[in-house]
Amino acid sequence: MPAPLLDTKLFLPVPRGGVVPRPRLSRRLERGAAAKLMLVSAPAGFGKTTLLAAWLAQGAGRPVAWLSLDEGDNGPETFWTYVIAALRTVVPDIGENELALLASSQPPPIHLLLTTLLNDLSALETDVVLVLDDYHLIESRDVHDSMAYLLDHMPPRLHVVIASRADPAVPLARLRARGELVEVRAAELRFTAQEAAAYLNGEMGLQLTAHDVAALEERTEGWIAALQLAALSMQGRDDAAGFIAGFAGDDRYIVDYLAEEVLQRQSGRVRDFLLHTSLLSRLNGPLCDAVTAQGRGRAMLETLDRGNLFLVPLDDRREWYRYHHLFADVLRARLSDESPDLVRELHRRASEWYGDHGERSEAIRHAVAGEHFDTAADLVELTLPALLRDRQETTLRGWLELLPEEVLRDRPVLSNGYAAALLSTGEVEGVERHLRDAERWLDGAAQSHRVDEPPTRKVVAYDELDRLPAGIAVHRAGLAMARGDPASTVTHARHALTLLPDGDDVGQGAATALLGLASWAGGDLEAAHAAYTDCVACMLRAGHLSDVLGCSITLADLRITQGRLRDAVRTFERALELAREHEGPVLRGTTDMYVGMSALHRERNDLDAARQLLTRCEELGEHNGLPQNRYRFRVAKARLREAEGDLGGALDLLDDAERVYVADFSPDVRPVPALRARTWLRQGRVDDALAWARDRGLSVRDQLSYLREYEHVTLARAHLAGHEAERPEHTLEEATELLRRLLHAAEAGRRNGSVIEILVLLALAARIRGDSVAASTSLERALTLARPEGYVRMFVDEGPPMAALLEAAAERGSNTGYARRLLTALGAARGPAPARQGLVEPLSERELDVLRLLRSELGGPDIARELVVSLSTVRTHTSHIYAKLGVNNRRAAVRRAEELDLIARTPDRRPGPVVTPDE
Amino acid sequence: MSDTHPSPDRSHEAVHYTIRLRGHLASRWQAWFDGLTLTCDSDGTTLISGPVLDQAALHGLLHKVRDTGLPLVSVVQVDPTWATPNHPTHRATD
Repeated sequence: MPAPLLDTKLFLPVPRGGVVPRPRLSRRLERGAAAKLMLVSAPAGFGKTTLLAAWLAQGAGRPVAWLSLDEGDNGPETFWTYVIAALRTVVPDIGENELALLASSQPPPIHLLLTTLLNDLSALETDVVLVLDDYHLIESRDVHDSMAYLLDHMPPRLHVVIASRADPAVPLARLRARGELVEVRAAELRFTAQEAAAYLNGEMGLQLTAHDVAALEERTEGWIAALQLAALSMQGRDDAAGFIAGFAGDDRYIVDYLAEEVLQRQSGRVRDFLLHTSLLSRLNGPLCDAVTAQGRGRAMLETLDRGNLFLVPLDDRREWYRYHHLFADVLRARLSDESPDLVRELHRRASEWYGDHGERSEAIRHAVAGEHFDTAADLVELTLPALLRDRQETTLRGWLELLPEEVLRDRPVLSNGYAAALLSTGEVEGVERHLRDAERWLDGAAQSHRVDEPPTRKVVAYDELDRLPAGIAVHRAGLAMARGDPASTVTHARHALTLLPDGDDVGQGAATALLGLASWAGGDLEAAHAAYTDCVACMLRAGHLSDVLGCSITLADLRITQGRLRDAVRTFERALELAREHEGPVLRGTTDMYVGMSALHRERNDLDAARQLLTRCEELGEHNGLPQNRYRFRVAKARLREAEGDLGGALDLLDDAERVYVADFSPDVRPVPALRARTWLRQGRVDDALAWARDRGLSVRDQLSYLREYEHVTLARAHLAGHEAERPEHTLEEATELLRRLLHAAEAGRRNGSVIEILVLLALAARIRGDSVAASTSLERALTLARPEGYVRMFVDEGPPMAALLEAAAERGSNTGYARRLLTALGAARGPAPARQGLVEPLSERELDVLRLLRSELGGPDIARELVVSLSTVRTHTSHIYAKLGVNNRRAAVRRAEELDLIARTPDRRPGPVVTPDE
Repeated sequence: MSDTHPSPDRSHEAVHYTIRLRGHLASRWQAWFDGLTLTCDSDGTTLISGPVLDQAALHGLLHKVRDTGLPLVSVVQVDPTWATPNHPTHRATD
């Protein structure tokens, strides 16, 4: 539930009639419109907005996306939501998927999202100017960084204009050096004497002498806001010259001085109205009525607008306005000096009005500004359930940080919410303190109701009070997990489950997921699987589909470790079915399922299918994945490369995977450095692999635990290789002993996936020893476990020594057929060249995808949605397909493709059961 | 692991600053600048002086100065025990 977008922020200001023409600036602005970035940087009141609005109004037909920023845009999600909304006012079909992701519960990293947005923008066929006004209000490092990223990757047709009171924290020097920056600064913006004369005597209709104009120009130093105020002060005055002389020799802050003059010339009613509404960042009639506690606000705004009294219209219906910023500051300074108590009251009224009109965030802002912290706390508390439901923890945390500690402490619902917000943003510090604050009010008060509650406890969201004990327990469990304490996690999570009210699916899901995590980290895979299955059921009931996909990764991982590949495939298939049924943009986590599925195809040596799924992930874009997908994708791709024989490429991808790895609560059971050590071993870099083991403090005599199993198996591999490479300190006996111990542990934990690999290694070790009986015994056991699940690469990856062992197994034993199939795979490990399509120029993978969809009933827009590309991209693909097939319509293309066997005549012939979710 | 309120270290001892602007600001701007002392000097400048809680507060103050549009002349950290607004003994910080 992100806050609704304010259209007023996207409104391109319309210049008032009779703007002073400034040809000397027009040329520079035109140059700016062609540059990557134009920076209009000058203090308040230098006419930045007016200049840009007047210039843009002249260049009729130029597409302009305008965004007036405010303090609320200091988070990358909000900022980019508005930027995309602004762009969509001129390029309507851009960024739809990105907007949906930004509004989702856990938006992907911004630069991933920008990558796809920029790709779309690079297809622009006309120039688009994006204006970001009042950029100085942005203080967020993250926003600046993402802006710098945008400027580094600017599509050629996009041009950014930044108007700001301070130079923005983007790499200006670099842009300047490359000639990609055009600047308009205070020196250029000041009115020259001629412009001042044109303004005062022309636009404002004064009749000042050249001498008076010069005096004004000198005193104001061409500062436009001051000249404007001076002109207003002099309208209808006979003694303009005297007035000018009066303040020309005065050192006073000129805007203050002149605002005073202007205010004095207004009626008491107008003056009060201006002062009392000055603390509003936007004004409309009803809001002004509420704040001034008087009527006729709308009429007053119209009068002010006509009188040119510093109102800027924010729409073309003359409904919403704002004051010129500088003038508003002067009014506010005066108000807080004259009537500080009234300021608090005015904020209270504004807060109330916004609260009544459903604008919680403005209501909270005014309540805090007026120091009505209890009101603010009430508002936050009432919004809290929705915020937590929609995973808007960052927003919640921002609000809670505005409230004084002592207000929070007496509010159990808020204290518990604070703990939730902290935990969700990865912070452990302070969680326990807030939980204790929340709990204080529960002891002995749990059964009490409104009437006899302890006098100082404050609650407004009474519904939340019932869930509080369970919520506290869930957060304690999360805290214990974050601190690496599975035993306490289980205790607290179990406690939470007994406290949860019926029907709280999300709470139940969270508690069971924590139980599952704790079991997983403790090596009890069956219990972990059971808990995650329960969690999936809860999340399904709650409609949290991305969470269901996230849990599916874990469920499949557990099954793979248990050696149950078929179950793992089914898990992904079920999840993908769910994703397919989901309406709207691609469900986040869908690409994670493809990555998981791809790894399973690879294990079964269906490398084509594995490759296609990864290509599909690339097309969907990284931002559609859950947080760990970037790392999983790279690992899957690395292992695929390795299977294709490209070990160098695999290592590059693993390095990349390590770089993008983000830790979460789940245990890192197959660490990237261990994967890399294995690849080194295949390259013969035994010393590098052994150095890795030393750095990790691994030893053949270590006590074994599930969490380090993968590393220990890797260590055993390194020792075997060390023995083969005649490193005397690495004996076969030690490696074999470690493997035997690992086998026992894996068998005890029923981890058949691990058991198979360890048996393979034991067989290889026995072969090196020359003990062919032991070798074939181990291999037979491995084959028996692996056969029903369709393992191939597990054996094939071991190369020639495995071939020798399999030859023997193919002769005798109970797995001769399977062993022969594996030998065939070993012989053809490189794979045959892909069959030619019988075309002069073969169709690309993407074109084949489009072709398959052309056979369906889907129309162009639906195909575009299905493939997550724009309609024009689909049209381009289609015309290429027609050209390559030598046809000129859809039906002919499908027929020709079927004749050439380019697309299967029935859906069953697809590479894998989940490759095409489009049917 | 115990949770304690993060200690603000030395920052609760506010540091005194003087900020000099070109132009005279009337004393009614005092509330706007969070109650700091405003002093107009005969050279046409205004001195804003007083205790500033921490660096974040100082930057907030400088933003307010920026938003008035008055040119900023200097920002100086002073030792309150031997400086008065009219005769600041400057110790430039950077």
